[in-house]
Amino acid sequence: MAAFPKTNQSGINMKRRAHNVYKSQKLIRVMVEYDETENAINSITITGDFFLYPEEALETLEANLMGTKLERHALKQEIDNSLKNSEVYGFDSTSLTEAILGCKT
Amino acid sequence: MVARHKMSTVKFSKIRVLETGYNTAALNMAIDEALIENIGEVPVLRIYGWRPAAVSIGYFQSIKDEVNLEKCSEIGVDVVRRLTGGGAVLHEFELTYSFITKQYPQNIMDSYRWICEAIVISINRLGFDASFVPLNDIAVKGKKVSGSAQTRRKGVLLQHGTLLLGVDVDKMFCILRVPSEKLKDKIIKDVKERVTSLAGTTFDDMASSLKTSFATKFSAKLVADTVSTEEISRARWLAERKYSSKEWNLRR
Repeated sequence: MAAFPKTNQSGINMKRRAHNVYKSQKLIRVMVEYDETENAINSITITGDFFLYPEEALETLEANLMGTKLERHALKQEIDNSLKNSEVYGFDSTSLTEAILGCKT
Repeated sequence: MVARHKMSTVKFSKIRVLETGYNTAALNMAIDEALIENIGEVPVLRIYGWRPAAVSIGYFQSIKDEVNLEKCSEIGVDVVRRLTGGGAVLHEFELTYSFITKQYPQNIMDSYRWICEAIVISINRLGFDASFVPLNDIAVKGKKVSGSAQTRRKGVLLQHGTLLLGVDVDKMFCILRVPSEKLKDKIIKDVKERVTSLAGTTFDDMASSLKTSFATKFSAKLVADTVSTEEISRARWLAERKYSSKEWNLRR
């Protein structure tokens, strides 16, 4: 995990970029930019050697996670909802949630 | 589509066989995509190799996280993003196959098993004792000798995969990045323990066995063919505009 703060004109950290590598059944890499004040995701990229059908579901998931609070329940619910019509091999909503939350620690 | 419960008995009257030889990474992936676009009722079994050696990365992987691009450039190894998920693969001492069909089990696990059974038969015909390891691997005595990946586009299934005829794990990790440099030695040791090759098997022997096994598994007549002018024209366009492009290869 590594976090890179960004500051506003007052020098107060508002946005952070952080990444995490998480070993589930497959390796998940998460890069997240989040608003520290709001504790919400601004943007997220999820990469790894997993399988997801249809493949386009990952981009939908990443888009749906924008604005989601960096909280376990909210993340898991959004992941479950976004992937409800997809098949994933290599991670599940619980492990992906932990991979995302791991960016903050 | 054919219903799931009937798939174990599905038979194709014909399988179109394309032996496309050795090509660059970009053209190899482009030919696969062109064949998906052009597939008719007759499935295609394609057999091929990579020249120069190449690294392919999975559809969802970050190329910069997975591959040492400078090293690849230095030693002349191609790099390409696949249409399919899964991990990074060094293609050098191997036979690669693609199977493209409009009739397949809808269940993902079933479809991998369905095609991998033909691969297992082909390996065992050469005197090995291989078995399918879900989701997408084939192993001999517990060690991986083959990995596959698939995608489904507009009702067409493409599964492609490797059959390792030789393996150079040290070279592999000269090119591939690992999540932790501290654990690199352990990761290399683990891979050496988990991966092996079909040593002593030639490309031609493997190709011959593969063709026979697909014919047997699907009760099909094999029809040797070449890539059509239309297909190769489309493939060349895709190789240049898509699979050689930064937009595609660096998209993650």
